[in-house]
Amino acid sequence: MSQPRAPEEGKPERQAGSAAPVQYARRLMPAGRVLIVILVTLLAWTLLYAPTLKRAAEASPIGARRTVSLALLRPISAVSDWIGLNELAGSIERAVGRDQGRPGGAFVPPPEDIPLTPEEEEDPPGNGGNGDGSTAEADSIRAPTTERKLRVAIVGDSLAAGLGYFAERVFLPRLVRVSGQGRISTGLARPDYFNWPYTMHRIVDRFDPDLVIVMLGENDHQSLQDVHGEREARIGTSEWPPAYRERVLRMMQIATSRGAKVVWAGLPISADFRLRDHSKRQNEIFEFAAGISNDVAYFDAWDRFREPRGGYTAYFREGKRVILIREGDGLHFNAIGYTILAREIAKLAVEEFGLSPRTFQTAI
Amino acid sequence: MLFPTVDFAIFFVLVFVGHWLLNHQSHAWKWFMIAASYVFYAWWNWRFVFLLVGVSFLAQTGAIAVARTRSLRARLIVNGIAVTALLLPLAFFKYYGFLAVNVTNVLSSLGLESSIPLIQVVLPVGISFFTFMAIAYVVDVYRGDFEVASWTDAFLYLSFFPHLVAGPIVRPNELIPQLRERRDERHVDVAGAAWLILGGLFKKMVVSSYLAAQIVDPVFGDPAQRSAPDALFGILGYAIVIYADFSGYTDIAIGIAKLLGFQFPRNFDRPYTASSIQDFWRRWHMTLSRWLRDYLYIPLGGNRGGERRTYVNILITMILGGLWHGAAWTFVLWGAYHGGLLTAHRWRARHGAKETREGWLDVLRQRAATFALVCVGWVFFRADSMETAFALLRRLITGWWTPSESVTPLVVVTIIGMLALQFWPRGFGLWLQSGLSRLKPAPLGIVLALAMLLIVILGPSGVAPFIYFQF
Repeated sequence: MSQPRAPEEGKPERQAGSAAPVQYARRLMPAGRVLIVILVTLLAWTLLYAPTLKRAAEASPIGARRTVSLALLRPISAVSDWIGLNELAGSIERAVGRDQGRPGGAFVPPPEDIPLTPEEEEDPPGNGGNGDGSTAEADSIRAPTTERKLRVAIVGDSLAAGLGYFAERVFLPRLVRVSGQGRISTGLARPDYFNWPYTMHRIVDRFDPDLVIVMLGENDHQSLQDVHGEREARIGTSEWPPAYRERVLRMMQIATSRGAKVVWAGLPISADFRLRDHSKRQNEIFEFAAGISNDVAYFDAWDRFREPRGGYTAYFREGKRVILIREGDGLHFNAIGYTILAREIAKLAVEEFGLSPRTFQTAI
Repeated sequence: MLFPTVDFAIFFVLVFVGHWLLNHQSHAWKWFMIAASYVFYAWWNWRFVFLLVGVSFLAQTGAIAVARTRSLRARLIVNGIAVTALLLPLAFFKYYGFLAVNVTNVLSSLGLESSIPLIQVVLPVGISFFTFMAIAYVVDVYRGDFEVASWTDAFLYLSFFPHLVAGPIVRPNELIPQLRERRDERHVDVAGAAWLILGGLFKKMVVSSYLAAQIVDPVFGDPAQRSAPDALFGILGYAIVIYADFSGYTDIAIGIAKLLGFQFPRNFDRPYTASSIQDFWRRWHMTLSRWLRDYLYIPLGGNRGGERRTYVNILITMILGGLWHGAAWTFVLWGAYHGGLLTAHRWRARHGAKETREGWLDVLRQRAATFALVCVGWVFFRADSMETAFALLRRLITGWWTPSESVTPLVVVTIIGMLALQFWPRGFGLWLQSGLSRLKPAPLGIVLALAMLLIVILGPSGVAPFIYFQF
């Protein structure tokens, strides 16, 4: 028996006075059937996208939300796998040029897009970075020329991503090549989600930087896991600081392995006071680890951008001028803030590693 | 809660069921929708729910006070007090920091110390939108265009979640009568809604995200070193990003309202096909344009005070419209720029050539000129400072010897494609919607799921906040 048809609506909008063509009329649906459409859409989409959703859930911070998400997504993902939808989704992803499970979009530059430095521009490994084979000034960053530009890699989380963008305003492009390698929502706590030591290796091998600026840790307010997702040290326990320090030292070791100098920027003070104690402890670890190697300097972003009485401020005093430098989230910097941060780090590199002052501009 | 998230999908299914189950019980339905809208808003920051309640309370109290006041003069005063009271939270949250910094710096340049505390005030999401709707409600009651609504209607009108955080700015007479009527549960335009939602998702998650990451952010981040092609396509790219982002959001909002049986006004009508700057403002953020006209330009005197006064009114309206978008001098300049263009357009219409040429080449020339002028304005809208804006514009002239870093074939194709879509016949979309509406629920659901999957795959991981959330 044929079902009664709902009346039709949705004549196309036309200029006043013109008749709407009937062939474009849309058929309307009762709300109950619309609910079926919505549920089928969401269910089918969840089945098709289950592996990626599961991966995203696995990468989220440990807590009730993650536990519930995984409890729901694991069976859905298994069903998707069993009936082959997983493979269908994978085929669609591959067809549009995106590997399943890889962060980034089909057209968005992938995270592993690390610039390759030609061999003739590379410095011999371990020579301290002069590039011409000399070792006389092994403790200094080499003086760049327009032919052999200085290579600066900026690595870390979203703070480093912002810093990477705006460091290009500070470092002069005719003498310095900046490679922004910030990855949002990453840190050292979850190599199962993003493996920074591996990525750092690739940056060093491909780009062969002279100076590495590291800024990360804001996402590390959580227990430490290994690359397989197994917990290594629970947050808040006495195991956490030494385990974290090991990870920081490992990053520093990789970054300096081909002679690069490293400026490790500590976490800046945040508006959220609940994060402050932990961030301070992380900064102590960064500073301690930096003190072990002559090739690593610690930049104290906390003290540099706090208010004189020690609290959080979103403003920075530059001479007589007051400038808003932080975003409304109380953590990230705005464009001018990142520019000032880059300039201050460059100044430290001048003091610590003899970076040529003509490689960057100080006016903001 | 962002629209393109799993959180919102779960929220919406629950609200959809509750909404249609309670459709016959007007009172219960209203309370349910108010509660749902507050949950939606609290997802960002529950503390700001009190602000939304406060603004709604002020609006309703103001409207009642205006309606009960008999004398015309007293009504004017009460209306003024109510509007001022509604503007105070917006002024504090949005402009305090801007004012504090500028006053401090001016005093400092004079050798004086400022005692204004430099605090960073967190901007509540959507405050600009619900404040404008609240003002529209009070002023419409004052003008006699609208009767005072019940408390629940007024609260629901201001908090109704599809429009809450980034518009469209719906007038009281467009939404409140719909809140009072029972929705027709037999006739839901699912195909029209799906078209809007999927189109909005595509614009936001694929087009806007791609162009922003690929060219706009790098070019505006460091304009001084960029080549002229980078600068040019960075600006064109931003014209597409701001359109795709904002129109994408409002399309989703309108589509969601449609699924609940509500009709929202359109907010965009192919703005880059405009043949004059006046035409552009009839097509861009249409609900803001008419708000500015009805609640600012006309109260200022509109065109009733002579030619010069009209120009001044246009300039004031557009400068304040610019400032509404953000507390920065770049927005003020953007508003003044558009005010200047509108003034020039009006002056030319009165004193310039009397005959309008309508050959296709003339139309093309007018459209191209309008688009170019709009794009120059976008530079100030997007730039983080005046220096950045002027540096980028300079590179359009001086950057032809610098090699391009960001212009790729796909960037060019995406920009041209999105511009071409503005001229695409409407019939194609309507034909597709008509075809979708003829599918049975299960096949339709699977088609929509595949379309969603494609959008998610094409877009980058994670969802950047919509640009207009910060306004």
